Amino acid sequence: MYESFVEGVGLALRFDTYLYISAGLFLGMFVGALPGFTTLMAMAILLPVSFFLDPLLGIPFLIGVYKGGIYGGSIPAILVSMPGTGAAVATTFDGPALTKKGKGKKALEMALYSSVFGDLTSDIVTIALIGPIAMVALMMGPPELAAVIFLALIVISATSSGVFVKGLLMLAVGLFLAMIGQDPIGALSRFSFGVPSIESGIPFLPMLIGVFALPEIFIGIERKAASVIKSADLKISGARLTFAEFKSCFRTICRSTAIGTSIGMVPGVGQVVAAFMGYAAAKNASKHPEKFGKGELEGVAAAEAANNAVNGPTMVPLLTLGIPGDNLTVILVGAFIAQGLRPGPLLMEEQGPLVFAILVSMVAANILFLFIGYFCIPLFARIVTIRKSFLLPLTLVFAFAGTWIFRGQPFDLGVLVFFGAFGYVAKKLHFDVTPMAMGFILAPILEYSFGQTIILAQGNLLYYIFVERPITAIIVLGTPVLTYLMWRRSTRLRSELKDRISNENSS
Amino acid sequence: MGSLDDIVEDDTGPAGRFNFNSAAAIFFIVFAIVLFLLIPTNIDKPLIVMPGSGSTLSAELFPQMVAGSFLILGLWLFAKSFSIQQRNELRDLNREAITNVAMTLVIMAAYVPLMVNLGFVVGSAAMIAVMSTYFGNRNYYLMAAVSISIPMLIFFLFRRVLLTELPPFPIDIYPLTHWSLI
Repeated sequence: MYESFVEGVGLALRFDTYLYISAGLFLGMFVGALPGFTTLMAMAILLPVSFFLDPLLGIPFLIGVYKGGIYGGSIPAILVSMPGTGAAVATTFDGPALTKKGKGKKALEMALYSSVFGDLTSDIVTIALIGPIAMVALMMGPPELAAVIFLALIVISATSSGVFVKGLLMLAVGLFLAMIGQDPIGALSRFSFGVPSIESGIPFLPMLIGVFALPEIFIGIERKAASVIKSADLKISGARLTFAEFKSCFRTICRSTAIGTSIGMVPGVGQVVAAFMGYAAAKNASKHPEKFGKGELEGVAAAEAANNAVNGPTMVPLLTLGIPGDNLTVILVGAFIAQGLRPGPLLMEEQGPLVFAILVSMVAANILFLFIGYFCIPLFARIVTIRKSFLLPLTLVFAFAGTWIFRGQPFDLGVLVFFGAFGYVAKKLHFDVTPMAMGFILAPILEYSFGQTIILAQGNLLYYIFVERPITAIIVLGTPVLTYLMWRRSTRLRSELKDRISNENSS
Repeated sequence: MGSLDDIVEDDTGPAGRFNFNSAAAIFFIVFAIVLFLLIPTNIDKPLIVMPGSGSTLSAELFPQMVAGSFLILGLWLFAKSFSIQQRNELRDLNREAITNVAMTLVIMAAYVPLMVNLGFVVGSAAMIAVMSTYFGNRNYYLMAAVSISIPMLIFFLFRRVLLTELPPFPIDIYPLTHWSLI
């Protein structure tokens, strides 16, 4: 593993990789700074761009979008109390109050520095953890892999939406959609109904763009607001952040980074929860908690360090087990698959240097993150004034162009529109599409591993699992227990967050 | 639970009577039955059955498991639907929202043949012009500039930088002008 790491460092020393990361960071911050335009949408729409680039350009480019998008949301959150992304909601508790006090510049700089610190530290932790976890993952055979994928799918379904059974139903929809085409073992045609375009299955890229990007557009056009706010409201005022101020918040930043890092490793939790937990922990630990919500720099630092610290560790289950922890990493899986790389235990064995090169570039990207963020804050602050009447059609153009370049088939554009409408209706009816997308992506490998397990079991599956494969047996038996615990935890977190949001809003 | 909307979703809808979740549950139960009926006729059979193939995964097994899951989960959702308090947000949409979403769907549906037949740049320019006008833009000079320049930029980037194909300019059909290859 050490040799792979050293080789990976060598591979990461490419100028063009950093050029693409910079482009990704810029685009991510741009979209993140637009209220109503999410990081998820940016990643979904820019996913096809990564397909036609070298893996060491395309994947870091998307990671740049990911990092930049999470940070970008804090800019309008601080200046005009409009979070660009869900992850920045906790930043609105103190950011706008600081702006009103004439400390907008301090707040923006604190958000940037704490985001970069949280992201950088969690990336280093990711690199340190990924090797040992990958070595354990390498010992897994098809039965263990099938059991782990099954466990992850159930856990994501349990934690993704409010009602467990609705998450499971969406997972089943994803599994069904993945069955259309050919079965992964015998290549026999299933449910293609003689339609040539789906003989090889539903194309995953139009589906991903459709369910993740188009619903945001539909929600954005429900009201014909010409632009969000006037540029006069966007003055970045006040003095710069001093080193003493940063130092006074350092303990909080470290605490939030630890919270974000540990949350990032758990599938299905994400940046929103991390930001709120980081904020709550800072408030609880503070000697003057009454100042929180009234313009406290520590509040901005706590939320921003925590939400960006989630980014790195989400790569751990993704790269070692092939399990994306949230909807953003589902899109990264799409990028890996399109490059001919299937995330999972074998990826580290077969492409170890490449994986480490991507991780090293992630760490180095934080330096670029700092510079781009620092110099472009005034520009991104003005982005919210861009007219919605142009942004929405331009987003559509990008979505259609990206879908077309995938296979060059008009059928794919139909798939895009269908899944866009489906995602919109699902959102309105409180059905989360994340378990569906995960089921769709992981179903082939689940079915293949399950098929291999049946062959290995030679007709006696229960004996094989419970006697010959004790680890598989533990995972299978532990699935309902772990699912229940995760569901209970997420339900509790959800209600705590609801209470906290309503408390903060009322105060 | 990544999305904020999922966390702070409005759960003040009616409970205790038939609601959209009950209807969705019935849809999934019916879908499961249809799926069970489709499996025997819509999954190819292997041409050669190898000896000892009883210990391999049949192409029908996984679909049967998924259909069974739909049935069980549909019944579960139906039983639970009477106690779930969620609003049907589709019902909350006002006339403006419905018109805007329907109009966007029509524009998207028209954009597909436009892009395929007229080329990416012309099709996209037409779509941007119509959509931006519909959504309130009245600065037509700006509209013309944006609707032509941005698709051209995307076209150039995708073809020259990413080396991918987009439906070409109409002028591609003329042999003397190869603007799409610049």
